[in-house]
Amino acid sequence: MTLNDAMGKVYGWLDTRTNAASRQLARHTSRRGFINRMGTLLVGAGVLPLLPVARAFGAEGLSEIGDPQSCDYWRYCAFGGTLCSCCGGSLTSCPPGAEPSPITWVGTCHNPADGKNYLISYNDCCGKAICSRCFCHRTEGDRPVYFPSKSNDIIWCFGTESHAYHCTLAVVLSEATEA
Amino acid sequence: MRAVLATCLWVSTALGTNAALAAYTPRVAYLLHCSGCHLPDGKSNPPEVPDLRGELGRIVAVPGGRDYLARVPGVSQAPVSDQELAEILNWVLQRFNAKTLPVDFTPLTGKEVGRSRRNVLKDPLKHRAALWERYESSRK
Repeated sequence: MTLNDAMGKVYGWLDTRTNAASRQLARHTSRRGFINRMGTLLVGAGVLPLLPVARAFGAEGLSEIGDPQSCDYWRYCAFGGTLCSCCGGSLTSCPPGAEPSPITWVGTCHNPADGKNYLISYNDCCGKAICSRCFCHRTEGDRPVYFPSKSNDIIWCFGTESHAYHCTLAVVLSEATEA
Repeated sequence: MRAVLATCLWVSTALGTNAALAAYTPRVAYLLHCSGCHLPDGKSNPPEVPDLRGELGRIVAVPGGRDYLARVPGVSQAPVSDQELAEILNWVLQRFNAKTLPVDFTPLTGKEVGRSRRNVLKDPLKHRAALWERYESSRK
């Protein structure tokens, strides 16, 4: 047997195996089925965070119910401003290009998922023009502006490079433990 | 540092459903009423918001220092009882100022804080300037 004959047999064997494997794959898969499943995955991943289901936030470690893009969300009980979660940010992080103010005001809200009260820090995100989406104004515990430390109408862009208000976060600081 | 003391407004930032109803642990009350400006670790944002770590332990050692702490506008106006306010102040002193607190420090009482906070600082800058002179000479 010459070298050419031997190589021809090896190539023939490879060709047969590849052909068989491709046919096997084609028989057991469907391109439309693949596209269908991929589409479901992509759309589902986008919609899931909006569904009113209990979710655990790793950083804050508590169960929550509701839609963070709705003014009714439990953390917004004393919220005045626009929701960062509607503006390219989240409950706890500013949208790109905006800077969180270190100075903030703190309130307490009741979490219906576990029946406990929590301290919520409403940090303003600053340094960009106001985000006009999802304006919310809830007034639990709110006071008129002549009592500034308890008014949620105050813009808290202090200690930031720019005083331009963009949107507001709602960060859980701690459980509001009673003495 | 004079400017820091002059701007020492202990801003209380209470908002929310239970602020006026519940009595919280001193740590939670600090977070609710003080941490908005002074931050959870007391680090604050000097010079606009004075640091609560270290300096207060020395201030309480000066005559009038204990009284002053409860008369700072943000402190005296915090929406808490005299007893709760004393507990918050003691927590801040012991938590953030343990190294500078006098060895013979006795915790503030609700009665003491109540007397001080009702004595409104009509001219805080003048009062602080006088206190600061005593404070500076105590450090020499």
